Amino acid sequence: MVAQFFGLKLRLLTNLFRRSPWQVVGLVVGLLYGLGVSITILVALVTLRFVGDPTLIRDSLTVAGSAVALGFLIIPIVVGIDDSMDPRKFAFLGIPNRSLSLGLAGSALIGVPAFALTIVLLGTVVTWSRGIGQTLLALISAALILTTCILLSRVSASLAAFLLSTRRSREFTGLIGVVVLVLISPLVVVLFSTDWGRHGRTLLTALATILGWTPFGAAWAVPGDASTGAWGEAILKLLIALGSTYALWLIWQFVVARMLVSPGHEAAAKQYSGLGWFDRLPHGSVGAIAARTFTYWARDSRYWVSLIMIPIVPIIAILPLSIVGVPLHYLALVPVPLMCIFLGWTMHNDVAYDSTAIWLHVASGTHGLADRIGRILPALVMGIPLIGIGSVISISFYGDWSVLLSMLGVSTGILLAGLGFSSYTSTRFPYPVTKPGDSPFAQPQATETAAGLVQSLTFTGSIIVALPALIFAYLGIVEDPAWHLVALGAGVGLGLVAVVVGIWVGSRAFDRRGPEMLASAQRA
Amino acid sequence: MPKKLTAPKLPDVAPPARATEQTLAENATDETTRPYVTRDALVAIETEQPLGTPVAPLPEPGIDPRPQETPGTTTPRAISEPAATAVISPAATSENVPVVVEAPTVIEARGLVKRFGHNVAVSDLDLTVRAGSFYGIVGPNGAGKTTTLSMITGLLRPSAGNVTVHGIDVWARPNEAKRVMGVLPDRLRLFDRLTGAQLLYYAGTLRGLDNDTVRSRSADLAVAFGLEDALNRLVADYSAGMTKKIALACAMIHSPRVLVLDEPFESVDPVSAVNVTEILQKYVAAGGTVVLSSHGMDLIQRVCDHVAIIVQGRVLAAGTIDEVRGSKSLEDRFVELAGGRKVAEGMEWLHNFSD
Repeated sequence: MVAQFFGLKLRLLTNLFRRSPWQVVGLVVGLLYGLGVSITILVALVTLRFVGDPTLIRDSLTVAGSAVALGFLIIPIVVGIDDSMDPRKFAFLGIPNRSLSLGLAGSALIGVPAFALTIVLLGTVVTWSRGIGQTLLALISAALILTTCILLSRVSASLAAFLLSTRRSREFTGLIGVVVLVLISPLVVVLFSTDWGRHGRTLLTALATILGWTPFGAAWAVPGDASTGAWGEAILKLLIALGSTYALWLIWQFVVARMLVSPGHEAAAKQYSGLGWFDRLPHGSVGAIAARTFTYWARDSRYWVSLIMIPIVPIIAILPLSIVGVPLHYLALVPVPLMCIFLGWTMHNDVAYDSTAIWLHVASGTHGLADRIGRILPALVMGIPLIGIGSVISISFYGDWSVLLSMLGVSTGILLAGLGFSSYTSTRFPYPVTKPGDSPFAQPQATETAAGLVQSLTFTGSIIVALPALIFAYLGIVEDPAWHLVALGAGVGLGLVAVVVGIWVGSRAFDRRGPEMLASAQRA
Repeated sequence: MPKKLTAPKLPDVAPPARATEQTLAENATDETTRPYVTRDALVAIETEQPLGTPVAPLPEPGIDPRPQETPGTTTPRAISEPAATAVISPAATSENVPVVVEAPTVIEARGLVKRFGHNVAVSDLDLTVRAGSFYGIVGPNGAGKTTTLSMITGLLRPSAGNVTVHGIDVWARPNEAKRVMGVLPDRLRLFDRLTGAQLLYYAGTLRGLDNDTVRSRSADLAVAFGLEDALNRLVADYSAGMTKKIALACAMIHSPRVLVLDEPFESVDPVSAVNVTEILQKYVAAGGTVVLSSHGMDLIQRVCDHVAIIVQGRVLAAGTIDEVRGSKSLEDRFVELAGGRKVAEGMEWLHNFSD
């Protein structure tokens, strides 16, 4: 039975290579990357057999290993991977629960994560081969770690598929993912700003001591403890690891048994009243399309991710700069233009987000002009107060109010230029995105080479259009404040030209390419 | 409902309602276009069923009460190419044919071809739909029905050939042609993060309706399709049948001259199907034209007056239902044209149960 599951998983993996050449290239690059990283770690671990302080190696490995185990638990939930070996897919075959659980867990050994982990674990065995007892313990621990990690990922993937089967909860995890990212970013900064030379060792030892007694780190600590002479602790931790692995196996069997008898369920639907944005905006194609865009920004988690990123990006950009020691005075000028870049850029693939629903625009003969303007109106409505209020706040930090003109000019130029480019690229070069209703972290199944090009084009394009304004602003700061007025004129003027041209070219493309846009959405 | 009326097959539309409407509403020309309408009316009167009650389906092929000379007196029309030998070709008589010819053409597809890479989905397909007809398109899976309808509605650019709708070339003047059509595509998403009410409003506004019209029509459509309670829920939370119904409502909101519906009854419950059919029949009676694709042969035979059988991207037979089906039932005729029944040989093991 396990052999058959192995075969099935192998077949599923080889079928990945039957896709389009570019996807295969991406897959191969990913595989080589994973292989490269794990082999590098393997070499490092082999080297550690001969050099280094065993206590330090043990502590580092315990902490890193716990993180790896935690990753196997969390990543399937957050990313919401498409589980090809979902137990429910085998529900009709009538396989005894025990062999099904064993087969499904066993088949998870075939896969990039398990493969990479195995290579790394071989390295740890070499690291701790400092005697017969230690080697033996290292081997047992490695096997336990592999089993634990695989069971953890299987349990969490299945629970995720099971609990997050409804549309709303799927989107909710996406949001959790974003929040986690936000929470992690200061942690990363703290990690980088900690004086490792002074406190690092103490922190590491404290962490390793705690984690070593938890199911996540116990098995990683066992051979290290033995090698540093703490045989008693090693045996206790081995028992913890054994017990937790067995408990996981029982949990996995329970999960499989439960999933076989519980089909997916749908949560109660929420009631809305009135027409929402459609009531608030003027009647007509432009108003309706703008209202639809507003509504989607509020209801579709895929937009939430891009919108939440807009305020986060400046934080991520400024924190490292401030740590390096760039004065806050100058940093205050960064956030508003940066947010404008991302706000304009958010729209560059907007048609693809509609997926095949765009047929309604095609079948009703919606004019490109109405579609283009309706789609960018919400971004403008958000952008104008952002630029106005944001610039005032920025300049109050900066101190010199004459720069306000430049600030307004540069930001407006960037936003308008970004919207102009987006108006054209979203009709002319739509590329596949996450489908409506999928987790925002789920990757689209097809990727096109054009995607990267379009992304960089719209991104750099808006900066290039605003470049004159940026130069005048610089002159205004270093030479003569009179340049600030020129910067305002250049930014607003060039931005307006860019947005008008973009809308015009984009609407022509929309009118001509309706069926092609739909076809591209159907291919995705 | 009396026991004897429980339909053994698919639940049917209520022919009495339709028959009375049509016999009252229609003029002589329409009578002749659908010669069996009067017969349905007779059946309805004979069985004395209340309005709206499902009745027994049409008689089985073998015991067709219609006069047996029917196939002989009619002519099959416009077969896409002479090579399609499978088509019945009895001698034409003059009385019944002109009726079909007189009504103005509403949809005219000539030499439609669609290639996807090396696959030819639709090859040299001709289709003529006349005003006021209820036109069914049937075909096996993958025959090119959806591809054909997409090319007619301006959603898929043909590799060759042209389509005119109401005299307007769909691919030369798309915006004018699209105004005439109401479209229900198959397997395409809706803007499903909108509530039902919002989606109807959106579709109506994109079609150029003014604020008051779109609101009053949305309310009417919601009642007609039984969606009043669902209007304030997200379309994403609808069941498959409700999604189909809201999409149908969106297709009709601008009162188009032609409705092109791809699989309108798929996963729609029987009661709603009856309502939808009734709405469509009234629409046709008022002069509208409906083109729909379906796998339900009974349904096509019952509600449509014309049918085209598409197999492997070609029209193998087209004309009035009676012309196409001849003496057989539509289903038998269809199976025959689509390659016949596959005789299940070598499947004896299926009958020796493994435990």
